[in-house]
Amino acid sequence: MEQTQHDRPRRRWLTSGDRLIHLFPVPAVAVYTLFVVYPIFAAFTYSLFDWKGLVMGRFNFFGNFRTLFTQEPFNRMFRNAFSHNLFYFAVELVVQNVVAFVLAYIIFRKVKGAQFFKIAYFLPRLLSIIIVGFMWKLILNPNMGVLNVLLNKIGLSSWTHAWLGEPATALPAVALVNCWFGIGFFMLILLAGLQSISPEVLEAARLDGSRGLGYIVSVILPMMFQPLVIVAVMTFLQAFEAFELVFAMQGSLGEPYYSTDLLAVFFYRTAFGSNAGDTGNLGVGSAVAVVMFFIIATISGLFMAFVNRRQAE
Amino acid sequence: MKLRRTGAFAALSLFLLAAGCGGGGGGENGAQNNASSGSGASAPPAGNETVKLTVASWNSDQNFVDMWKDVQDALNKVYPGIELDYQPVKSTEYNTALNTALRTNSAADIIQLRPYGAGQAIADAGYLEPIDGLQGLDGFKPDQLAAAQGSDGKQYGVPIMLSSTQLFYNKDIFDKYGLKAPATWDELIAAAETLKKNKVTPFAFGSKEGWVLSLTHGAIAPVFLGADFPGKFAKGEAKVDSPEFVKSIEALKSLTPYFPNNFEGLGMDDIRTMFATGQAAMVFDGSFEIAAIQALNPDIHIGIAPVPSPSGGQPSVSAWVDGSYAINKSSKQIDAAKKVLQFMTTKEFGTIVLQKAKSISPVAGAASDDELVSELAKLSGGNASPYFAVTNLGYGDPTSKVTLENSLQGMFLGKLTPDQVAKEVQKSVDTWFKAAGK
Repeated sequence: MEQTQHDRPRRRWLTSGDRLIHLFPVPAVAVYTLFVVYPIFAAFTYSLFDWKGLVMGRFNFFGNFRTLFTQEPFNRMFRNAFSHNLFYFAVELVVQNVVAFVLAYIIFRKVKGAQFFKIAYFLPRLLSIIIVGFMWKLILNPNMGVLNVLLNKIGLSSWTHAWLGEPATALPAVALVNCWFGIGFFMLILLAGLQSISPEVLEAARLDGSRGLGYIVSVILPMMFQPLVIVAVMTFLQAFEAFELVFAMQGSLGEPYYSTDLLAVFFYRTAFGSNAGDTGNLGVGSAVAVVMFFIIATISGLFMAFVNRRQAE
Repeated sequence: MKLRRTGAFAALSLFLLAAGCGGGGGGENGAQNNASSGSGASAPPAGNETVKLTVASWNSDQNFVDMWKDVQDALNKVYPGIELDYQPVKSTEYNTALNTALRTNSAADIIQLRPYGAGQAIADAGYLEPIDGLQGLDGFKPDQLAAAQGSDGKQYGVPIMLSSTQLFYNKDIFDKYGLKAPATWDELIAAAETLKKNKVTPFAFGSKEGWVLSLTHGAIAPVFLGADFPGKFAKGEAKVDSPEFVKSIEALKSLTPYFPNNFEGLGMDDIRTMFATGQAAMVFDGSFEIAAIQALNPDIHIGIAPVPSPSGGQPSVSAWVDGSYAINKSSKQIDAAKKVLQFMTTKEFGTIVLQKAKSISPVAGAASDDELVSELAKLSGGNASPYFAVTNLGYGDPTSKVTLENSLQGMFLGKLTPDQVAKEVQKSVDTWFKAAGK
């Protein structure tokens, strides 16, 4: 059968399987819609209604937000949790990312057994974070935990603490466990960044006599702009979505005395009730989630805008 | 462009975060009767097969799992053809799990209810089948039934267990140092001093978990508050920031020198271990902990004592109905579930609870051959005070009980004085309290 110019494109469309390609995303999009898009709209909706215990009540425009920002104890808890998220972010940014960079750099410089170290540092990430939480809870247990036993053995009894029971040490302890958990992942991102710098540039800098810290600060870091931004954004997201670790180690009340409370824990407790026998308030809980959404969206947006502007330059 | 992708990643993460809000499901009213799949209410049987009923509970310890095997056998002697599928959830997660299951219409057929306020909230939301007139309910005392009623005054649950909070002491350690169960508050302190001198931790205690604090305070408070305080409080004649309530908090604080090192970091697991292994000689604890303590150390000789009064008044044990069983309104098996609840009012069931769960049963006439449990039953059946935090403070959002627990935690961390604790709780009470009869 002779072909005309006219139906050639159509035939290709029919036979080459192109059309099937468009069906491949369907399952993913369906799952995404069901578990991500719908809940977002549900949360926005819930936050605008009154809830009587477990039953949806009247439409109440911004009443839940008013409660959240003006009524004790919600306003106090919100401020408190928000400040803890900032602290969490700061600790991760400094401790986790600096350590991750140092490790990545050491592996990049091809120490003996680099491959082994790469895997070893990444291992914690493969554990379930709930298991990580319980494991560290045991390590930090004041009377039988490895850490205090060790301190006693080496004669530093005065350094022993109820690490997770005192407000001064509970949040830093949880934040550091989170760093321990996250280091391997960020190390890999930074290592990939290091490996993508063109060797000629590094060679040239070396020949110019650049060495040590100066070499890292003035040659390597400027070439690492992209991965560093990725790491910063991801650290921010991680810090403001943090939930599991506090939940596993300190329960849904962010004990003791709300000293480890984070926005996501506050949201969970307010929406679904805490372990102490209250039923929760879905309206105010959803309001917390919506406020979190806007905080994270705004700051991530600013981040991206800043990056794009720099790129344009 | 790598960065664009990061943007997309960031956006995706946001969505994932917000996805957490969907967990509550569609918020449909439990009165709707659409069937659910999965772990929820079971489907109706075809013909004369056995009926399967799911039972949700927060009693996840092994002794309760064993107890339900006995319940199954005893139940089938009376009602053959009913099969119970016992599904316990960790106590601290139970409320959250139950609320979510109720909202998504996938809750069990038979549901364990928290006493008073929290259970009432579930009844008031229309999720439960009223059981007024169920045979055997008249065997309970009115104040026991009140723990499982809605604000409409209807009965929704059958009280299952009484719990009490009081002083446990290790008899062997007490004998070793020539001590006996304290009859006055001063004797209690003297015993603690003696133990401390001999390098034994007097009280197993920890303030890391809030609920342990209300439990401990609940044991001590009645001898300072007087037995009529809860009644006066309900009528609006007594307030939480009153001097006697402050005194009860000060009494708890005054025991600090006798607590373990680093008690701020200890939770119930640690407390239980310390007492069971003889590292600590006394503990203010709930009756529901006995079985777990004995499981850790079967050889321990536990003595039980009511908390002695500072002024020579009656010593006190605080007792309360710690849970009841109710029927999920959207269950397909309401008739079979009613039979099970009816069985729960019988002496056979009460005896199983006593024997296996080592808990006191509210069923009249249930008997146990366990000396300890009989002693407990005698103490809490006699001169028991209500456990004020549970019976009167389980209201508000967050509840005043949670406020009390967190404030006590703050006190032990040096952030609040006893007076400020009482004021915090009163502030919380003011948000919901209406005096009875007004």
